[in-house]
Amino acid sequence: MTQMAQQNGQILLDVKGLRKFFPIKRGFLRKTVGHVRAVDDVSFYIRKGETLSLVGESGCGKTTTSRCILRAIDPTAGQILFHSEQGITVDVAALPKGKVRPLRRQMQMIFQDPYSSLNPRMTLLDIVGEPLLVNGVGSRQERMDRVAELLRLVGLRPEYMRRFPHAFSGGQRQRIGIARALALNPSLVVADEPVSALDVSVQAQILNLLMDLQAQLGLTYLFVAHDLSVVKHISERVAVMYVGRIVEMAETEAIFAHPRHPYTEALLSAVPKPDPRLRSKRIVLEGDVADPANPPTGCYFHPRCRYAVDVCRSLTPALEELEPGHFVACHRAKELTLAGVAGARRVEETGRA
Amino acid sequence: MENGLKALLSVQNLKTYFSSDEGLTKAVDGASFEIFQGKTLGVVGESGCGKSVTARSILRIVERPGRIVDGKILLRRGAGVVAQVAGVEGQGVRATRGAWRERAQRQGPQAARRETVIDLTKLDPDGKEIRSIRGKEIGLVFQEPMTSFSPVHTVGSQIIEAILLHQRVSKREAREKAIDQLRLVGIPKPERRIDEFAFELSGGLRQRAMIAMALSCDPNLLIADEPTTALDVTTQSQILDLLRHLQEQRGMAIMLITHNLGVVAEMSDSVVVMYLGRVVEEGPVDDIFHSPAHPYTQALLRSIPSINSMARTKLPTITGSIPHPYNRPPGCPFHPRCPSYIPGTCNQREPGMVTVNDQQRVSCFLYEGA
Repeated sequence: MTQMAQQNGQILLDVKGLRKFFPIKRGFLRKTVGHVRAVDDVSFYIRKGETLSLVGESGCGKTTTSRCILRAIDPTAGQILFHSEQGITVDVAALPKGKVRPLRRQMQMIFQDPYSSLNPRMTLLDIVGEPLLVNGVGSRQERMDRVAELLRLVGLRPEYMRRFPHAFSGGQRQRIGIARALALNPSLVVADEPVSALDVSVQAQILNLLMDLQAQLGLTYLFVAHDLSVVKHISERVAVMYVGRIVEMAETEAIFAHPRHPYTEALLSAVPKPDPRLRSKRIVLEGDVADPANPPTGCYFHPRCRYAVDVCRSLTPALEELEPGHFVACHRAKELTLAGVAGARRVEETGRA
Repeated sequence: MENGLKALLSVQNLKTYFSSDEGLTKAVDGASFEIFQGKTLGVVGESGCGKSVTARSILRIVERPGRIVDGKILLRRGAGVVAQVAGVEGQGVRATRGAWRERAQRQGPQAARRETVIDLTKLDPDGKEIRSIRGKEIGLVFQEPMTSFSPVHTVGSQIIEAILLHQRVSKREAREKAIDQLRLVGIPKPERRIDEFAFELSGGLRQRAMIAMALSCDPNLLIADEPTTALDVTTQSQILDLLRHLQEQRGMAIMLITHNLGVVAEMSDSVVVMYLGRVVEEGPVDDIFHSPAHPYTQALLRSIPSINSMARTKLPTITGSIPHPYNRPPGCPFHPRCPSYIPGTCNQREPGMVTVNDQQRVSCFLYEGA
C-alpha cells in the first residue's frame, strides 16, 4: 500500500492496523466482561496536501480513529506513523505520554460544535493565542501580531481580538476555532464534523474557507463527517467506515460514481437529493447498525446486505486493492455492479400518487 | 386553494413575539400558509427563521414569554379523512360535541354544515378544547426523541396515556392499541418493546416510537419538527419511507419542518420557505426547486453541497450570516444579504406577497408590478 502511494506523492500519515477497544466492566469488582471494538484493524494513509475523509454513521469509529491519531486517547494496538517536516518518522501510537506535546504542534484539531469548544470567558486573543502561549512562542507583542494575522486569514477583522465568543455567530465562531487550530502552523489538521452544527447558508462559507486555507498553506486534512454531500465537496479521497472497519476507500469521484461495496451503495442511495425530479427508489437498509461490542460473524454488514451469500456469514473479508487506489472489503466486490450517484440522472417512479 | 379543496389548516398572518428585557423578538412575523388533507407541506428555513415557533403556535405550546399577538390559525374539524381523500363531502363525518360545533360556527363564517372551523388562536392554551385537539387531531413529532420521551416512564405507558386521554377505552384495550401502533411503525417485537424505556431503544426505534405516539389517536394532521435531523442517513431514509407509507394509508396531512432541502425535495408536495419569521416564498415543490423566485431561495439552493455535483468544487455562498433577532433589519429582512438589493426600496418598505405563476407566491419587490 505504502510503496504505491509514495509514487503519487509524499505520505504524511500512515496508519497501520489501528485498534481501539473499550472494556465493558460489570459487577462489584468491575471485571471486564467484553470489549467494544470501536476501531478494529484500520489502515490508511494520507498524502501531503490532500484531504482524506472518514465517513460513516454514528458509532462507526470515525471519531475514535481521529482521536487516536491525535493521541487524545491511547490506541490499543497498531502504528500511527507521522512523517514530520524535518524528515523524521514518529510512531505516534508508541510515544510515551510526555513526548506527545511537541508533536501536537504539527497536528491540530477543529471541533464540531463552535458553541461548546470556545471558552466563553476568554477573548479571541486568549483563545487563538493560547496554543502559542502554551508552546512558548514569541513575546506578548509577537503573539498579538500573530493572532491578528490569523484572524485576517480566516476572514475576521483583527479589531475583534478583544471580544468574547458570545458576540459572534456560529459561522464566525467556527472561523475562530479554525484560527486557533492554525496558530502553530500545523501540517495535519483533523476536522471532526466541522460544519454539521452550522446553518446551511454558512456551511458553504466554511467549506470554501477550508479549501482556500489548504491551497494557501499546504495543509493536509483528515476530515471526519457523516454528510456525504459535504464530503464530496472537500475530499480528494474517501474512506467509508462501518462498525470500526474501513469497508471501502478510493478517490472521491471513483467512490461516488462507482461504489464497490454494498454499504457504500446503500449510503449513497439514502442521501436525500435536493431535487424533487430525482426522487429515486432508495435502498432502505433493514435493521440497525451492528453492535460493536457484539458484532456479527463474518462480514459485519451481512445481516443488512442484500447481496449476502454464505461466505459472507462465516468469513471476514479483507481490505483489498481492486483497482489502483480503490480498496474494498467485500467477498463479492468483483462480481457486483453497484449504482453510484455522479451523473446519475435516473428518475424512477416513487410509487407516490 | 388546491384543486378546489378546502384547507385543513389555514394559518393567516400569524405573529408570535417574545418580549424580554433586551427587546422584542419577532419570532414569527406575519406567516401565512395552508395545509391540505393527504398532502405534505415542507417548511424550510435556517435556524431562527421561526419554523418551530410556528408549529408550537399551532399547538398553542409556545413557552412564555412568547405569545401570539396577531393572526388566525383556522383548523377544519369534523371532516372525515376518507371523505376528503375521495373528494366526497359530508360522508364519514365524525360526531363532534354540540357545544364545540356551536361555538366554532359562530367564529368561522365559512364553516360548512357538518364541518366546523375553529380558530386555534382564540382558545385558552390550557383549556379543554385545545387539549382535545392536541395529540388527537394534530399529532406532533419532535426533533430529539431522547429528550421528548420521559426517561422514568416506559415508552408504552406514555403512548397508553395519550390513548386513554383521548379515547374511551379500557386500560387493556389501550395497551392493545399501543402495541398495534408500535407494530404499525415497524418496531420488532412490540409486545416486549412496549415495556422498555426510551434509553433502551436505538435512535431509529425511538423516533419510530415517537411517531407511534403521535399517531396513536389517528390525527388528521401530523406536525413533524425536524423528525430526522438527529438520525443517520440510513435511519433517516427508513423514517421518511415510514412517514410516506403511513400518509398513503391514512390520508393524513403532514407539516414537515426541516432545514434539510434534500428531505423537503423528497417528501413534500408544496414548500414554504421562511426567513426571519416571514414566509418569503411558497409554491409546489417542483417550482420551488426548479424555478425559485426569491433571491434567498435561489441563493440557498445554490449554496447547498450536493452529492450530484463535481468533487472539489467551490460553492457559491450567501454573504454574511443570519442577523441576530434583536438587530432585525428594517424593510425586507433579507436585504443586507441580497444580491439584487434595490437601495431605497428594500431597506425601507416590507414587500407583500406577489403571485408569480399559478401557485407560486413570493415576497419580493423584484416581482411587484410584474
